[in-house]
Amino acid sequence: MPNGSIQVEQVWKRFRADLTAPLFYDQLKRLRHSIGPGRRNYRWVLKDINLEVEPGASVALIGINGSGKTTLLKVISQVTYQTAGYCNVRGRIGALLSITSGLHPDLTGRENVFLYGTVLGMSRQAIRKKFDEIVEFADLETAINRQVKFYSVGMQMRLGFSVAAFLEPDVLLVDEVLAVGDANFQQKCLQRIGEIVRQGTTLLYVSHDLASVEASCDRAVWLADAVIQAQGPTKDVVRMYRTAVEHNAMLVTANDGELRVLKAEVKATDGGQIRSDCDVEVILTVNARESLDGNFFIGVSQGTAFPMFVVYQHGTLPEGDFEIRCVLNHIPLPKGRYSIWAAMVGSKNSPYMPWNPVISFEAFGPDQFRPPEGVMILTPIYVKADWQVN
Amino acid sequence: MLASAKRLWAHREIIFTLAERDFRAQYKQATLGILWALLSPVLTLVIMIAVFSRAKSFGTEGIPFALFSFVGILCWSFFASALGTGGNSLLSNKALLAKTQFPRECFPLETMGVTAINTVLSWIPLVILFVIFGRAPAVATLWAPLFMVLEVAFAAGVTMAVAGLIIQMRDLVQVLPVIISLGLFVNPVIWPLSKLSEPSVPKFVLPLYCFVNPLGPVIDNVRRTMLLGFEPNWYLVGIATLGALFYLVVGYRLFKRLEVSFADIA
Repeated sequence: MPNGSIQVEQVWKRFRADLTAPLFYDQLKRLRHSIGPGRRNYRWVLKDINLEVEPGASVALIGINGSGKTTLLKVISQVTYQTAGYCNVRGRIGALLSITSGLHPDLTGRENVFLYGTVLGMSRQAIRKKFDEIVEFADLETAINRQVKFYSVGMQMRLGFSVAAFLEPDVLLVDEVLAVGDANFQQKCLQRIGEIVRQGTTLLYVSHDLASVEASCDRAVWLADAVIQAQGPTKDVVRMYRTAVEHNAMLVTANDGELRVLKAEVKATDGGQIRSDCDVEVILTVNARESLDGNFFIGVSQGTAFPMFVVYQHGTLPEGDFEIRCVLNHIPLPKGRYSIWAAMVGSKNSPYMPWNPVISFEAFGPDQFRPPEGVMILTPIYVKADWQVN
Repeated sequence: MLASAKRLWAHREIIFTLAERDFRAQYKQATLGILWALLSPVLTLVIMIAVFSRAKSFGTEGIPFALFSFVGILCWSFFASALGTGGNSLLSNKALLAKTQFPRECFPLETMGVTAINTVLSWIPLVILFVIFGRAPAVATLWAPLFMVLEVAFAAGVTMAVAGLIIQMRDLVQVLPVIISLGLFVNPVIWPLSKLSEPSVPKFVLPLYCFVNPLGPVIDNVRRTMLLGFEPNWYLVGIATLGALFYLVVGYRLFKRLEVSFADIA
């Protein structure tokens, strides 16, 4: 196995049952229980995980909270151990599981660079050599001689990430650490990660930010309920994941408000396929328990609850069953799968209908243009452009 | 176990860095800063003299009691504070424990390093005592490093075992200080080890005591060599060596066995 590869075979991991008994009496009760035949409860957080990553690949782990992403990362980085199975990583591991937990608040930035660097696995000599680069990347200037407890949270993040950014491991594991920090720094981090990957480092990246996943990983693994649901090219897996999230949202937001959507339909006004830049009509058959006055919202998203744009209309709706039609002109969508979300909110912000998905559709047309590497696109919008070079 | 020791050796820089972190942080915002490492043992010494110079002692083999007990206390306090801070070291480093992958024994060993530095500094006031009593350490003091090695091995074994067990049984956090303060009397700090070789004591007690508590013969031999100028009592030192090795091996193995679950339940 060459340096930088990860091999995970049939890995299972369980945590012991929750301990919620601080009192002696409770402990006694627990003791009596545990003497009985096989009454131990475990929570399985990883079930039969198989994963192979070749050197230089960049792989994203996605999934909802509690699906086992972080645990898998911890098993791979040997922070914790699997209950069963085989896990092997060749080469030096750099695990960035939390960006500030290695920092000591009473020490100065300078002292912390050495502390955190060593903890992450750098030699002191390497840190000394990289010190100026690290400080420059973190953008800390004279604050480097200040105690870290007087840093703003953002500065601590920058310091933490900068140390890790110059780690030069064979395998880099990153867990949801870029979610914080301002836009500028996030961009800088993504660029740095892209650079590290180009240098041949294997990247395993956990994030809920699907846009950044799409920007920095060529493969994705989708974890759900402790098992691998799907893996493959980022685009496909992310799409499946989005569809599932949307599906879940539809199940969760069972209709019980004053207003209910009975039927939803979406089509191009000319009767053909939905294409980039065409007019799209949304037809919702709804039922109102009483006459309602408020704003009706329609939004288009990539499957998640965060829409790319919304339109709304103020009005009074009658009681009973009726139809709402809305034509979205020249929808600026590149090829892909999208969903329509709707909500109705009364004048005092009282929700008549919660924000929930009503239907999804496929748009045809040109692909989204790829941005430069390390740059992420938040919302895919298709815009026709005319160029001229004078 | 050899493989773990090898891995530990590869990560030795982490021990130094963490020790440096704690040492620096300890005195960071104190006005007198690092001077406290010297001052606090002097203060202890003053209290010691004030209190114990009046107490009727158990016989000190002709050594002034203040000197006799202070040497004992210095030896004992290294062990006590190594165990006190080292035993809790995994708990106090929870944040790192759950996020990093270096060998876990770095934590107890690192706190021992800090304790060692503080201890070395606290030997300096001993010079004051020597001057006060118009004595000088004997040439045989040169044996002291050997005893220190024994004490470090013993302390490392016990500290690692306790640090590992404390994660599983938090009750130990409460019990540990009590046990440590008890140790002040179990060890020959204010009484001479020769008490155990008196005719009224069964023959097997002394060797058994030296095996179970290697710190006892260590304290006794530091006194023998430094204050009386005798050769070390090789018989007892031999037993103590066996004992210290036993604790080191058992403690390290226990720690390694428990290590698997540290990150999950700490």
